[in-house]
Amino acid sequence: MTMNTRIPAPRWRHLNLLRWVTLTTVFATLLLLPALHLYQTYVAAHAYDLLSPGEQRFYTFMETLTSPFTSDPARDLDALKGTTWSANIFGLKLSDPLAALSQVAAGQTLYLPFLLSALIPLVLTLILGRFFCGWICPATLLYELNSNFGLWLRRFGIHSGNRRFDRRLKYAVLAAGLLLSAAAGAVLTAGIYPPAILGREAYYAIAQGGLGAGSVFFAATLLFDLLVARRGFCRYLCPGGALYALLGRFRLVRVRRVVENCNDCAKCNAVCEFGLDPLHDRFGQDCTNCTACIAVCPTDAMTFTLRLADVPPQGPGHLGHRYRKARPGGAASRSQEAA
Amino acid sequence: MTRLLASALLWLWVLPAAAHHVLGRPSYNLNEDSNTPPSMQLETQIGDYFVNYMVYPAFPRPGESGRINLYVYRRDGGAPYRGRVAFEVRDDSWFSTREERIGEQTADDNVFRQGFVFSQAGDYIITAKFEDRGQPYRIDFPLRVGAPSPVRPLSLAAGVLLSVLAAVSLVQRRRLMRARLRAAREERAA
Repeated sequence: MTMNTRIPAPRWRHLNLLRWVTLTTVFATLLLLPALHLYQTYVAAHAYDLLSPGEQRFYTFMETLTSPFTSDPARDLDALKGTTWSANIFGLKLSDPLAALSQVAAGQTLYLPFLLSALIPLVLTLILGRFFCGWICPATLLYELNSNFGLWLRRFGIHSGNRRFDRRLKYAVLAAGLLLSAAAGAVLTAGIYPPAILGREAYYAIAQGGLGAGSVFFAATLLFDLLVARRGFCRYLCPGGALYALLGRFRLVRVRRVVENCNDCAKCNAVCEFGLDPLHDRFGQDCTNCTACIAVCPTDAMTFTLRLADVPPQGPGHLGHRYRKARPGGAASRSQEAA
Repeated sequence: MTRLLASALLWLWVLPAAAHHVLGRPSYNLNEDSNTPPSMQLETQIGDYFVNYMVYPAFPRPGESGRINLYVYRRDGGAPYRGRVAFEVRDDSWFSTREERIGEQTADDNVFRQGFVFSQAGDYIITAKFEDRGQPYRIDFPLRVGAPSPVRPLSLAAGVLLSVLAAVSLVQRRRLMRARLRAAREERAA
């Protein structure tokens, strides 16, 4: 089943802008939550008079920010807690499927309440595939900005790395992470999973005034992306990305090329952060449904479809030279007809 | 009646002056020298001892005298430590190796009092050292003097990096798209 095959992309084109707004919002929320938590702690401790002048300014700012929503911050701000790794949003407990799986591996028990908190993300992944990586992961915002920065450096003759590795490497990282977690009895995957790292570091920075070792690891992943392989960590190493890719292999919602509208310009391939090949209908399980290819397509040849597998390769786009030349009587005869 | 009153006054007069004790520990929530509460009151455990750490005034400023009060007592039975405690300070800012010994104190009313005057605002680490039965004890406590910039070098670096990345992506949007297409063409050609 195809959604809007006849009148494709215009409707979906704006989704890429919405995605940037979503990523920015998630990132800002990740910074806001520790600030709210810190403010809540100050309020609960009746600590205003014990705070330094700078902390008092912070208190006043947070008071102004939250006063329209709550008159009892010490109690009400419990409604928002956590990070993208595991969070409580107005009573709804959500966890990253990797968090749940790692916890099972580390504890070697099935703790149902925690597993249930991963159910909604799991179902969404089964439907939308690796959408977390494209739409929600707070690290994605930084990685995409970093990727743009790498392109900008080309102006100065500095070429960022674009090596390619075997995409299956990330599954090995995931398996090793889970096995080591099981052996150590600790959730080790969280130590190499960028969204979990960013969540922790945001807490360290805002609530404790410093950064942990995770920030060094995250900086290393940025440098890896910049110097070795574009979006290399997400493509080849991320354990969470590996899990989402596996779960999203048979996703229901996927991007499809409308061959009748395609002119083979290959802009879709150029903008794909994951180095996929939309031009030849090869999206695979790594597609994050980020809609960058939909947004860039000048002929609206990319759209969403409801299918459990990618459309088989459809050949050259019907608006492209290759197709017109290949057709019996091809471009020449059509131009004669037009004349 | 007069004799009773005189006895009571005499009894009060001969009592030694002592700090207030609450639940067996000196209480300095509002200190005798400072009308503000301590800037921090930490209680920690090291080896066989509990250690209470307080700083007066609440927000010590450069050029003004302040004081650290340390109360060290045994975990088993709560007997106060009777030896000497040495105090050292080191600058907790980046790339600084400044370290200084402030002094060594004996207990006064079971409290080790160490005065200080800092000439510069900043974040410092106070190290208290003592020895018991040949066992060395060493504890670090934070101390903030003045109001150092809330933005630390690392936060500043992260902020600048994020701003540069965001600015490049926003301001150079069209140019980046062209660069992306050109890079893809070059890659295909290669």
